[in-house]
Order: sequence, then structure tokens, then C-alpha cells
Amino acid sequence: MDETVVDLSRLQFAITAFYHFLFVPLTLGLAFLLAIMESVYVMTGKQIYKDMVKFWGKLFGINFALGVTTGLTMEFQFGTNWAYYSHYVGDVFGAPLAIEGLMAFFLESTFIGLFFFGWDRLTRLQHLIVTWLVAIGSNLSALWILIANGWMQNPVGAEFNYETMRMEMSSFSELIFNPVAQVKFVHTVSAGYVTGAMFVLAISAYFMLKKRDLPFARRSFAIASSFGLASILSVIVLGDESGYELGDVQRTKLAVIEAEWDTHEAPAAFTLIGFPNEERMETDYAVKIPYALGLIATRSLDEEVTGIKDLIEEHEQRIRNGMQAYAILQQLKAGQDDAGTIAAFEEVKDDLGYGLLLKKYTNTVTDATEEQIAQAARDTIPAVAPMFWTFRIMVGLGFLMLFLIGASFYYASKHVVEHQTWLLKALIIALPAPWIACEMGWFVAEFGRQPWSIGEVLPTALSVSSRSASDLWMSLGAFIAFYSGLLVVELYLMFRFARLGPSCLKTGRYHFETQDSNGPGVGVPQQSLA
Amino acid sequence: MWYFAWILGVLLACSFGIINAMWLEVTENLDRGDNPESGPAGKDSGQPG
Amino acid sequence: MDYESLKLVWWVLIGVLLIGFAVTDGFDMGVVSLLKVLGKTDEERRIMLNSVGPHWDGNQVWFITAGGAIFAAWPIVYAVAFSGLYWALLLVLFALFFRPVGFEYRSKIESSRWRNNWDWLLTIGGAVPALVFGVAFGNLFLGLPFTLDELMQTRYLGSFWQLLSPFALLCGVVSLAMLAMHGATFLQLKTDEQLLVRARGMTLIAALVTLVAFLLAGVWLAFGIDGYSIQGALEPGAVMTPLDKQVQTGSVSWLVNYESYPLTLMAPIGAVLFLLGTGYLTLTHRAGLAFVCSSLAVALIICTAGFSLFPFIMPSSIDPVFSLTVWDVVSSEKTLGIMFVVALIFVPIVLAYTLWSYYKMWGVIREQDIHDNQVGMY
Ligand code: HDD
Ligand code: HEM
Ligand code: HEM
Repeated sequence: MDETVVDLSRLQFAITAFYHFLFVPLTLGLAFLLAIMESVYVMTGKQIYKDMVKFWGKLFGINFALGVTTGLTMEFQFGTNWAYYSHYVGDVFGAPLAIEGLMAFFLESTFIGLFFFGWDRLTRLQHLIVTWLVAIGSNLSALWILIANGWMQNPVGAEFNYETMRMEMSSFSELIFNPVAQVKFVHTVSAGYVTGAMFVLAISAYFMLKKRDLPFARRSFAIASSFGLASILSVIVLGDESGYELGDVQRTKLAVIEAEWDTHEAPAAFTLIGFPNEERMETDYAVKIPYALGLIATRSLDEEVTGIKDLIEEHEQRIRNGMQAYAILQQLKAGQDDAGTIAAFEEVKDDLGYGLLLKKYTNTVTDATEEQIAQAARDTIPAVAPMFWTFRIMVGLGFLMLFLIGASFYYASKHVVEHQTWLLKALIIALPAPWIACEMGWFVAEFGRQPWSIGEVLPTALSVSSRSASDLWMSLGAFIAFYSGLLVVELYLMFRFARLGPSCLKTGRYHFETQDSNGPGVGVPQQSLA
Repeated sequence: MWYFAWILGVLLACSFGIINAMWLEVTENLDRGDNPESGPAGKDSGQPG
Repeated sequence: MDYESLKLVWWVLIGVLLIGFAVTDGFDMGVVSLLKVLGKTDEERRIMLNSVGPHWDGNQVWFITAGGAIFAAWPIVYAVAFSGLYWALLLVLFALFFRPVGFEYRSKIESSRWRNNWDWLLTIGGAVPALVFGVAFGNLFLGLPFTLDELMQTRYLGSFWQLLSPFALLCGVVSLAMLAMHGATFLQLKTDEQLLVRARGMTLIAALVTLVAFLLAGVWLAFGIDGYSIQGALEPGAVMTPLDKQVQTGSVSWLVNYESYPLTLMAPIGAVLFLLGTGYLTLTHRAGLAFVCSSLAVALIICTAGFSLFPFIMPSSIDPVFSLTVWDVVSSEKTLGIMFVVALIFVPIVLAYTLWSYYKMWGVIREQDIHDNQVGMY
């Protein structure tokens, strides 16, 4: 196995996934904000809410196009770059992906067409339903892909079949109701809602600072701050509820995030900040909060959080079992499939994945040296410092946004936001925060799963396609070139239309349009003039 | 059941947004303008826009 | 339902998804690949774009879902095909990238340079995938150079350029011409005046090219290309891997299924008749029926390819034993069963709201519509 190919495939997957997730959260959040705005339009009949749906809808469309573009890559990349993975777990993993297409993508993509083109062809109520369906569709798509992703972190409801040499589904409902998938879903879509809210808040704040289109900005701001407040609370309250007792990968992640080198007596302290040192397995200059980790991770004061050193020891034992499993598997493959051998295999097959970790060092697995076993056990712990820091950046930004959105809501309710210049400026500066937090979150989740692509089942190094390193260099280069070009165009349009504000709708009712003609533009109903 | 919590939660967050907007419509003059071109918020004139 | 029937059902379902893709996304690809050919002015090109504007994304999901369904039902096909045809697939992807952004961004800026560039990129986004899909299908008949080991790891020993053999390129022509015809027929429904006249002309030309290339490919297949066949007894209902069977090549023709099951001859014969029908109905200005005919022609051309290959999906040219067939690439019985139920529930729902959206957006698009709605339209 070529290490370069593995690394380049990981890099390519990471880049394309990070890219996809630049656009996904805004789609998830803005879709509901549009649905809210349109509901108010239908209930009050006020034209300005319709204009709001159209304006924010335009920005939604610009973002959505790249969400679709980058999603296409994701759908096929398992096949192109992770061929052995696709064979090994397709029986389980493919199902949610296919269902996502049937249940979510069709819904969202069909109705998004009607959303943009159906204004004159649908009744108000029909159009409102279409908008809600777009929002529901986008969330269903997140649901199914996160069920798939949750299964990679905690592979429940599946079993290895030696005849076909792959994992096969044993329970569909366990797959769907995987607790890791559930928390992941709630946390991730809420993060999307926060992103949508921060986006609308920041752009509305910009209009307010410029004293442009105030009625438009106030209404957008009010809706986004209330929806955003509920969402950020959900992200933070549900953020730590990530089901860490479940599955070895999640337990390891927790220890790594917290740089918890040794198992401490319950309840463990939470390391607020410090400098993890991999070599000495210590955290320098640690600032600790007593009890907090125990509470966050286990919701109790008397359960232990297993430390990294103990995890390595556990894993070493499982690797030894895995070697046995691999040896028996070879016998089975050679046709020696009597009841005794099968029974022996059943006994250790849950550790087969640990055996496969040795493939990186010796192709035959069963003849691994003590050194190689120790090395493989050490590999089961992802690098501590990057995990430690990215997690803290996400959490820090979460509290920052809680503060900003809380203040926005407070001042909006007191009708005085426009005068809080500091808040408006802070909102604009903080616009990238939700995106950074989301990407950091994915880093924690995915990098923290290494060295596994499927936790405890299939090592990443074994999952790749047999392409050459030069193929990978070229495709990676092509992706970076294409995606960068597309991103530049997207940002250009996004900024341009956000700056234009609702005047880009060319209704003649908004700033830039009414400036040079005296007073409000044409087509304004008389009774509405303030 | 986190899925269930999600369904309730989204409904709640969306209603919160809608109610907040309606409440502000009633209690505050959202169309007060500090400058001349502050836009209108009249009834939909029914024209395709 | 037993395992054997489920295996067959999934062969049919994946066929349905591919046909759904070709019939729906096919016409919007056709339309954009003709953007520069048929649209002489900016207005005309905008009419063309808006004729498919509300639908292209929903249509594209047939492609995505076909990808997902192959992953779920035929995992090893997903693995071998996409890792083997790495560059071909990436070429399709990179071309497809231009569509979402092209549609969405092109008319947002009023600069002729901006619009002209996007028009070219959109043309690529329509034409290149159409061509590559045909070439890929053609290569299935020739066999692809891949191997499998007992761990089911796959290796591909060919290069991208080797895919471009004359027969495969001919299949590419069938595919491109077929989708151009389909797109032009759709435009007959959606346009008037000059554009309508040009769309009719294009339909006729493309239908003719499709017909000739299709017949030529059939003759070539009958006389110039070795088929594959499974040797010896096979238990179609059993759990197996591709290595659990014997395959032979050189002694049979790819057309042997048509002898064994004469009913399947309806596919190629029907394809020819519907191609002729599309031409005739275009000449007599019955756009609606012409579109029905063209859809059926597209569907039957794909059926023809599927029937000829059956039960093979991807033959291996390195050693026929590695060949992937309907019987040995499938997921477990449980997964196939669950996914079948899911498909039974959701495919009709999807069809229902898709039809509703077409019904709502029905009608000719005129230049006036574009002028009246400069901002809202593509
Ligand atoms: C359905 C599955 C799935 C989903 C929803 C995601 N990923 Fe993932 N991710 C994988 C499936 C996966 C994978 C195929 O399994 C990779 C490739 C290599 C590996 O070990 O896991 C992976 C690797 C991977 C890596 C590299 C880790 C490493 O090798 O060090 C990063 C940084 C991300 N992903 C980031 C993301 C982001 C930003 C996502 C948000 C869209 C995301 N992933 C969603
Ligand atoms: C490897 C994982 C992923 C794959 C294979 C994937 C696949 C796709 C595809 C093919 C599209 C385009 C759909 C279209 O044409 O309309 C898309 C869009 C989208 N994806 Fe992803 N995606 C992945 C990760 C994610 C994640 C993690 C989320 C959310 C949490 C997500 C949510 C969305 C949303 C909301 C869209 C918007 C467009 C739409 O639904 O049509 N995706 N994705
Ligand atoms: C403030 C408290 C927060 C806590 C305690 C928290 C906790 C976590 C944890 C533990 C993970 C890793 C899950 C896993 O590996 O399985 C995670 C992932 C993630 N976080 Fe956060 N988070 C917080 C705030 C935020 C914020 C503010 C955002 C974005 C707006 C965000 C977005 C994400 C995303 C997108 C993921 C990846 C998806 C997932 O694994 O759920 N998080 N978060």
C-alpha cells in the first residue's frame, strides 16, 4: 500500500468535503428563514415580506448552486477514491446515500425550481408550501448523510460476512436510530441554522449602519435574531451531548479532545486550555476546571473517563485478537469452513478491524512483530494538539455567537438595535464565525476518527482505491483549481448582491432606485407611504 | 429520541421567528424612517413583482 | 421475494433510474449543449435556458440517485467502475460543475463577455457528459481491464486514452446525438418563431444521426465484437462473489439474448421506430407527440444496451472470470429488500410531484416573458 496515495486521497476528500460544507450550512439555515419570512408574508399580506423572501432567496440561490456543484463530487468520490471502502461497507453505507437521493434531493431540487420560477404560477399558499418543502428537503438530506456518517463513527447494526468479505446490514432500525447519528444530526443542522441567522444578521446590520432600507433590515434582523437565538442555544446545549460512552472511537475522541492522558478518578477535571505534549504524554501549562469533564462527558459524578494511556493498552489487546481473527479468516477463505472454525471466528471477529490495522506494516498481518503491534496500538490515537485546539475554537466561537445573537435579540426587542453601532459592527466582523466553527467541528469529528474510516472496522489506509500517486496529484490540483475559481465567482456575486440590497430586485422601491428620482419610486401603493 | 426533539425544536424556533416578527409589526412602527427613502410596507398590490 | 428475484428487481430498478436520468436530465443536457448552435441572440439563449430552468436540478437528481443506488445495491460495481474509470468520471464531474453555476450565475450580470463565457461553459456541461456516458457504455461491450483478488480489492490496468476506441466513440456519438435530439424536441414544446424553426431542423438532423449510428453500432456488435457468457451451472439465488463462476469469451455474440428471448427484440426495433416517429411528428409539427416518441426512443436505446449485456454489468478484458454480473455484485438480501421497499414508496411520490412541477411550469416561453421578468429569470 502506498502511503502517499492514502495521504493524498485523505487530503482530497478533506478539501472537497470542507468545500461542500462551506455552502451546506447556509442552505440549511437560510431555507428555514425564507420559510419564516414567507409565512409572515402570507399571514400579513405585506409586500415587504415578499421582497424579503425574494432578496434573501437570491443570495440563497447563489450559495445553493455551489452546494449542488460540490455535492456532486461527494456522491461519487467514495467510488473514485475509496474503492475498497465502497466494497467493504456499501451494503450498509450505500443505503442511506441512496435514500438521501430519493427522499431529500428530489424533494429539494424539484421544489427549488418552483420556488424561483413559480411566483406567478402558484397561489400564495402553494408557493408557501413549496418554500417549506425546500427547507424540509434540505434538512432531510442532512439527516440521511449524517446517518451514514454517524455509522462510520459508531458502526451499529452490521456484521462481517466472510463469504462476501464485507460488512452487511443486520438491522436497519439500529442504523437509523444510532445515537451518534442522532446527536450529530441535531448538532449539525442547528449549526446550519446559526449560520443562516448570522448571515442575515450581519447583512442587515450592514444596511442599518449605512442607514439604508431600514424597514427591510429591521424585519430581517428581528426574524433572524429570534430564530438564531433558539438555534445557538440548541447548538450549545446539545453540543456536548455527543454520546461519548458509545463506541470505542467516540471514547478515544473524547480523551484526545480533552488531552486526558491518564484515567482520572471520577469526576474528571476539564482542561480549559494548555499545551498538549505528545512525546511526554502530558499537557503543559494546563488550566483545569474541577469536575467539569466528568459532568460533560458522562453526565454523572461517579463514572470514569478513560485516559489515552489506558486506551492504548486496551487497543493493543484487541490488535492481538485481531491477528487471530485474520488467521482464522484465511483458513475460512481457503475452504476450511467447518462449524468449529466458524465458531472460533465468531468469537474474535469483532476485533478483525484491529488486525487490519497491521496491514500498514505487514501484508500478512499474522506475523507482526511486537514493535509493529505497539506501533499500531499507538496509531489508534489521533494527534492530540490539533484536536484539542480545533475543539476549543469551535466552542469559543459558539459562546461568542451566543453573546452576539443574544444581544441582537435583546436590542431588537427593545426597538433600539439601530443605535448599537458596536453590535452592528461586531456582527459584521463575526460573519465568518459560524463557518469557522462548522469546519472546526468537522475536523474534530473526522480527524478524531482516524486511523479508522469505519470505527473499529476498517482502517483508512486500507480503504483507498489503487490509483497512482500521479493520478491523485493531478485530480487534487484540478479540484483545487476548479473550486477556487468557482469560489471567487461566488463570492464576487454574493458581495455584489448583498451590497445592492433589495434594490437588486428592481422593484423601484428601495435604496439606489429611489435616490435619484424624488421620493419613493413608481409602483408604490399610495396608502403605504409612511 | 433526538429526532423527536429536533422536530419540536425546529417548529419552536420557526414559530418563535414568526411570532416575533408579528409582535414587532404590532408594537413597533417598523417603517419609521430616519431618511426619506425608507421603503413602504403596503398591502401586496397584486402585481407580479 | 427470494434473493434471485431481488437481484433481478435491482437490475430493473437501476435501469429505471438510468432511463429516468437519460429521459429527464437528457433533454436539459441536450438543450444546453445546443445553446450556441440554436440560440443566435442573448434573448434566444435565455429562452433556451429558462425552458429548462425550473427543472434541470430535479432532473439531475436522477443521476445522483442512480449513483447512490448503485452504491447500495451493487457496491462492487460502484467501487470497480468509478475507481477504474477515474478520469472519465472526473471529466464528467468537472463538466457537470458548470451547470449549476452556469444556470444560476449567467444572467446575473449584464455583460456580454460574462454571459458568453458562461454559455460556452454550459455547452461543455451539456455535451461532454453526454459523450462520455456513451463512450463508457461502449467500453462495457469491449470489456474493461480490471482485476479482483480474493479480498475483493480491485486494480485497473488501463488508461483513460484506451477508452477512446472506435467502437466506443461510435457509442459516444449515439449518446450525444440522442440527447441533442431529445433536447431539441423539448425546445419545440417551449419556444416559438425562429427558435422553434431551428429546433425542428435540429431534431431532424440529430434523429437521423442517432439512427444511423445506432444501426451501425448494432452491426458492429453483431459481427465485430466478442460477447461474454457464463459457463456451467450457476445458482442465481446463492450468495456469491464475482470469483465464484466461470466465464467464457470469444465463442458467443452479444446478441445471443435476442435469440433466447425474442421478445427483447422489441427494444431495438422500437428504438428505430420511435426515432423515425420523432422525425415524422416533427415534420408534421406535433411537438407533444414528438417529445413522447423521443423519450421512448431514448429509453429503448438504453434498454437495448442493457438487454444485450445481461447478465453482465462490467466484463473484464484481463480475465473474463473477474467479470461482474447481476448475480454476484449485489448487496445482501436484507439490504436489497429494504431498499426495494424504499423505492416502491418513494419513486411514485417523486414522479407525482415532478409531474406536478412540469404541469405548473407548462407553456411556451416568449421573448416578452424574459423582458417582463429580467431579474427573476435565468
Ligand atoms: C458520509 C460520510 C462522510 C461525511 C458526511 C463527511 N465525511 Fe469526512 N470523511 C469521510 C466521510 C464523510 C471518509 C470517506 O470516510 C473520509 C475520507 C478518509 C477518511 O478516513 O474518512 C473522510 C475524511 C475527512 C477528513 C480527513 C480526515 C483525515 O484523513 O485526517 C476531513 C477533514 C473531513 N472528512 C471533513 C469532513 C467535512 C468538512 C464534512 C462535512 C461535509 C465531512 N467530512 C462529512
Ligand atoms: C460525503 C458526504 C456527502 C455527500 C455524498 C453529499 C452529496 C450531495 C449532493 C450530490 C448534493 C447535490 C444535490 C442536488 O443536486 O440537488 C448535495 C447537496 C447538499 N448537501 Fe451534501 N453531501 C455530503 C455531505 C453533506 C453533509 C454533511 C450535509 C449536511 C449536514 C449535506 C447537506 C446537503 C445540503 C443541504 C445540500 C443542498 C442541496 C440539495 O440538497 O439539493 N451534505 N450533497
Ligand atoms: C459551544 C459549544 C459546542 C460544543 C460543546 C460542541 C461540541 C461538538 C463536538 C463534541 C463535536 C464532535 C462530534 C463527534 O466527533 O462526533 C462537534 C462537531 C461539530 N460541531 Fe460543535 N460544539 C459546539 C459549538 C458549535 C458551533 C457554534 C458550531 C457551528 C455553528 C458547531 C458546529 C459543529 C459541526 C458542523 C460539527 C461536525 C458534525 C458533528 O460531528 O456533529 N459546533 N461539536
